[in-house]
Amino acid sequence: MNPAQPVNLRSYAPAVTVQQHEVVLRTKQLVKRFGPITAVDGLDLEVRRGEVVGLLGPNGAGKSTTIGMVLGLITPTAGAAEVLGRDVRVRREEALAGVGAMLEVTSFYPYLSGRDNLTAVALLRGGGALARVDPLLARLGLAQRGGSKFRTYSLGMRQRLGIASTLLADPALVILDEPANGLDPAGQREIRELIRELAGENRGVLLASHLLYEVEQVCDRVLVIKKGKLIASGTIAEVTRGGGNYFEIVVDNKPRAADILRGLGIKEIRQTPTGLDVVADPTRGAEINRALASAGLYASAIVPRASSLEDVFMELTEPESPSASPVS
Amino acid sequence: MLRLFRSEIYRLQRRWMPLLMLLIIALAAVGIYLLVYLSVQAQLQAVRTGAIPSPPGGEQAMAQTLRQLQPDRVQGIGVQIVSSLGSLMLIVFAASHLGTEFGWGTFRTLLAHGAGRGAFLGAKVLSLALYAAVFVFLGVVAAMLGSYIVTAIAGQGAGGPDISAIADAGRRLYYTLLPYMALATLIAVWSRSAGAGIATGLVVYLTEGLVAQLLVSFNRDYANIVNYGLSRNVGALIRGAASTTTIQDPSAVGLPDQGQAALILGAYTVVFLALAYWRLRSRDVTVGG
Repeated sequence: MNPAQPVNLRSYAPAVTVQQHEVVLRTKQLVKRFGPITAVDGLDLEVRRGEVVGLLGPNGAGKSTTIGMVLGLITPTAGAAEVLGRDVRVRREEALAGVGAMLEVTSFYPYLSGRDNLTAVALLRGGGALARVDPLLARLGLAQRGGSKFRTYSLGMRQRLGIASTLLADPALVILDEPANGLDPAGQREIRELIRELAGENRGVLLASHLLYEVEQVCDRVLVIKKGKLIASGTIAEVTRGGGNYFEIVVDNKPRAADILRGLGIKEIRQTPTGLDVVADPTRGAEINRALASAGLYASAIVPRASSLEDVFMELTEPESPSASPVS
Repeated sequence: MLRLFRSEIYRLQRRWMPLLMLLIIALAAVGIYLLVYLSVQAQLQAVRTGAIPSPPGGEQAMAQTLRQLQPDRVQGIGVQIVSSLGSLMLIVFAASHLGTEFGWGTFRTLLAHGAGRGAFLGAKVLSLALYAAVFVFLGVVAAMLGSYIVTAIAGQGAGGPDISAIADAGRRLYYTLLPYMALATLIAVWSRSAGAGIATGLVVYLTEGLVAQLLVSFNRDYANIVNYGLSRNVGALIRGAASTTTIQDPSAVGLPDQGQAALILGAYTVVFLALAYWRLRSRDVTVGG
């Protein structure tokens, strides 16, 4: 797959039930330039109620800038972001009344307790937010430490408090930027479950994360951006199908093995530190084994693999992978 | 903005710094009264026992100073004490009130939770103004308490305080603090730093008055220029309140009239806050603030 080209995926075609769901976030040709640098370049995205959309990209791809523009923290150079049909630039406060957002760096008042911090945000939010403070502390596992100063919280507790704060306003759209930062595996699992619960409560969730496993587990759709441009989008199945199935072959004489496999009509062969990755139908394992053995090459292992989201992400976002260079 | 203001007050009540400052101004006001009284009494005692020679008119001057400490003169020396200390403390507080939001990254958090930038600044300024009012009130009340204490220690019959004169002096003092707080706010917003706001505010407060005084002492005509600064207009309003007292101050020469002083200080306050708003509104918030 050539990473420079857009992935050949079906455009997102949501299921009938999803189609009926309201679009809670839509960006239209969103552009942000910082001087000569284009951080976001004509980005179109949609998040609907009841779905979790993953926003993926390497560092500096424009994820946080995109979120900043959606929240009105950063003024777009061109284009627009709409929350619940309201343009964030024109009707920011109305638009954000329906949004709960947790930014990558969770910042609260260090001299206040977790509970007081949530109360301060709840007073700002108004409505029934105050009544949600204690239930949210309990839901995020912070009930016992709710009275402790924020400055004494571990990174994981800070993340949990950040997530709790997003739900104070009972939002239609939840934006989470790296919510699992600093959480232990059990905590990460809890957050994944919580994100699915949020979608189950008919909220739209936009999840920016570096943890591709996490994204694979919870997202209905993913958007991959690179240098501010959308380079792939679709359901997880759609995106990973683009990566295809392959065999991981552990073999000593890689050039000779590659020649033999080419003789079988296999075109996509990549060299790895231990052997070759060979894109081929999963049913061809025995044929490959037989051909190599007939030529006196005995593979230590021939393992059928399906491309994971991580594989596809790496291919899309890293033009030259040192561990998987094509065999010439 | 009302919701943000409520949140602001909620946080303010739980922060130690503003409470500590209130305690300090109250203790300082009483303490300075006691210090001045004890110091003058000691000097008087020393003069009377011949331990030190009496300066020309010294005993009378000292008696005059003691007279200033009585409750019916709180609008003079009491308000001056609160003004001198209060200006410094409120500059520090104003810069900290804004600047820490950027340092802690909570400005970004508040915006992400739907707060508007104008509402943010409005709530900050409103809470700052409210805090300054409480600060001045407490300081003046503490000064009154100090005057009663020293009068009681001296065993003198205390004349009752002139409440309307004290209220007028407190009101003027409060007004003169606003431009300094607005300046500290502007610099804190501009630099996204409490430290820069504190430093700039203090440097302006301490040096501008000194420079103005020096210039006027060289040539009285310079008053036409420095009377458009802060310190001379502050001086005009504060001294206006103390006009019933007999304080003689050579630096009062050529001060602007009180109407002009009020107008100029008000204009400075508005301009500083408008600039702060403009800066806050036009800035992309990436990390922290």
